[in-house]
Amino acid sequence: MTGLALRSLRHRATAFTATFLAVLLGTALIGSFATLIQTATGPVSSTDGETLMVLGAVVGGWGTLIVLFSVASTLAITVRQREVEIGLLRTIGATPRQARRLIRLEALVVAILAALGGSLVAAVGGRALLAMLRNGGLVADDVAYGGGVAALAAAAAGVVLTSVLAASIAGRRATGGPATVALAQGASESGRMRWWRVLAALVLIGYGLAMGVVTITVSADSADPYDAMATSGSSSILVGVGLALLAPLLLRWLSVLARPILGRSGPTGHLAAYNTSRRSHLLSGVLAPVIVLTASSIGTLTLVGIDGRTLAGGVSTPETHTINVLNNVVVGMLSLFAAIMVINSFAAVVSHRRAELNRLWLLGATPGQVRGSVLAEAWVVAGVGVLVGAAAALATIVPFGVARHEGVVPDGQLWLPPLLAAGVVLLTLLSARSAVRRVAPAAPAGQPALR
Amino acid sequence: MNTSTQAPFALEVSGLTRTYGEGVGAVHALAGVDLAFPSGTFTAVMGPSGSGKSTFLTCAAGLERPTGGAVVIDGQEITRWSEDDRTRFRRERIGFVFQGFHLMPYLTAEQNVGLPLRLAGHRPDRARVRSLLERVGLSDRAGHLPGTLSGGQQQRVAIARALVTGPAVILADEPTGSLDSRTAHDVLRLLRSLDDRTVVMVTHDPVAAAYADSVVFLVDGRVAGRMDAPTADAVAGQMAHLDDLVAVEAAS
Ligand SMILES: Nc1ncnc2c1ncn2[C@@H]1O[C@H](COP(=O)(O)OP(=O)(O)O)[C@@H](O)[C@H]1O
Ligand SMILES: [Mg+2]
Repeated sequence: MTGLALRSLRHRATAFTATFLAVLLGTALIGSFATLIQTATGPVSSTDGETLMVLGAVVGGWGTLIVLFSVASTLAITVRQREVEIGLLRTIGATPRQARRLIRLEALVVAILAALGGSLVAAVGGRALLAMLRNGGLVADDVAYGGGVAALAAAAAGVVLTSVLAASIAGRRATGGPATVALAQGASESGRMRWWRVLAALVLIGYGLAMGVVTITVSADSADPYDAMATSGSSSILVGVGLALLAPLLLRWLSVLARPILGRSGPTGHLAAYNTSRRSHLLSGVLAPVIVLTASSIGTLTLVGIDGRTLAGGVSTPETHTINVLNNVVVGMLSLFAAIMVINSFAAVVSHRRAELNRLWLLGATPGQVRGSVLAEAWVVAGVGVLVGAAAALATIVPFGVARHEGVVPDGQLWLPPLLAAGVVLLTLLSARSAVRRVAPAAPAGQPALR
Repeated sequence: MNTSTQAPFALEVSGLTRTYGEGVGAVHALAGVDLAFPSGTFTAVMGPSGSGKSTFLTCAAGLERPTGGAVVIDGQEITRWSEDDRTRFRRERIGFVFQGFHLMPYLTAEQNVGLPLRLAGHRPDRARVRSLLERVGLSDRAGHLPGTLSGGQQQRVAIARALVTGPAVILADEPTGSLDSRTAHDVLRLLRSLDDRTVVMVTHDPVAAAYADSVVFLVDGRVAGRMDAPTADAVAGQMAHLDDLVAVEAAS
């Protein structure tokens, strides 16, 4: 089985690039912040220790949630990509258990290699991060980098463990049905969601909303103006990740609303309308990061704006400075990661559908129509993602606005959310375009192309 | 969409060659094929594996550009046309049936049948789609997704789809290759019942070939014989003979 896994990996190196990238970046990110925590436990003053701890734990914590989520969803796409092959293996006598073991082994090998690479990046990134904090005056100049193997290993282990867990779940799903090659048509893909996924989503959304309520009812009246930020700041991310977990459902429901519009935009729109709703589980891998990206960027940047306006009278203390840096780091980091995930998952989804897109060409679609149908799908994903993400952002904006007496609608920078939304839509469309450009039509050699 | 064209042949190829690769490693998948298929006939193209049957069909369908020679469909020589022009012509004038059905998994049977019309920018006529589904015996499955249909049913949807534009010729590559013999029988009977259509079917199964009006044999990219009113036994006998020829050639 191990030999088979290694050979399969070498043969399909491109298919695992998405997973590799997600694990590498994820480890680099989590690892960098983990080194801050390790540095905090070293010989530093208690204030510096606290700053480092908060940065590492808060920012690193949110990062971890999103990274683990992304790694898991990328792995799910990669495993799906191989359902045909898994079906074939089973028809020639592999038991479901053997097939799952193969999937887990492959994930393990890819994740370990990527996590090793990610740790190296984190060793450099952690130093750069600390240097940035020193230059920004957030910690004393004499704070020395104390990160080491412990922090990096913990980060790497966490990501690898998540990968293997995600592969087990995806594998269970892939081998759930009867052994058949009929999967070659991508026919028996069911979009059912597991109960624990729905539960996790509801918990996250509920927690985010509860924090909003706490912000309005309790921390709004607190003497420290930052209490309101502490309670509401992460709500948009919480609700965003929660909604992202429900992405398959949301896409199925909301893309039905888009059907009348798509129906009028020719054959490509017609195809996109049905593909997005009937195979929502495929494109939900792209939708999820779009939601998180929209929610976290709009939510946090609007919060920074409200904070700037309502505290404008107050002097810029080291504390406000730290908090500003912290917020910007969160947004920058999450946006970068989510953006890469959008590109990554679109590439994975399109390469998964290569045979099917080729089929469209065989049936008489021009290459332009094939590309057009994927772009139309990208429009739907972008539209739904921005809509849902913006709604999630309200979980931060409204409570914080009320707490800082700006009311439900912020007093300024109302151009910011539409601008960010436009950026997200553009990113999604460009990802789709670059992914689909690599799909060239090929005449059938009797069988659908399986490369 | 009147298909009873003036041309005596729905499909005609002459001097058709297709070479893969270059130099010493070049494979001459088609080495000069001249064939003409009269309108309204059902012809089987047979040959051992690797004899160029699929290549012949993809070149005839305009999916691939041949290295040399001409393909005339419905009176039009399409080989020099651009990819987009060939695609437009193909989806209106040629119906293709694949071994692997090639239905879009997220479209219902009815939507799959109407797809070529959609791609051509027309709104499918519901009544026409329904009557085609009825013709292939699936009027009660119109709203089903391919995943919920059996292999034979999926192939019949694919045949209805191939018919929807009223094509000049229907090309089928091993249409029963993925079916058991009973369902294969249904599909072949359906293909034979389309006597207002020109059907060219590639197969390596003598039983399937016996459903056709005539059989053309391909060996090493060349036409190696022809048989009218074929029976399964006669075709099998001829195939065995061709296999011997190939074996002798390989040995020499
Ligand atoms: N894309 C290709 N590249 C290189 N060689 C090919 C390609 N397609 C087919 N061939 C070769 O052309 C010959 C004919 O193939 P094909 O038409 O698929 O045969 P058949 O369908 O009769 O089995 C074979 O030797 C095959 O290996
Ligand atoms: Mg073939």
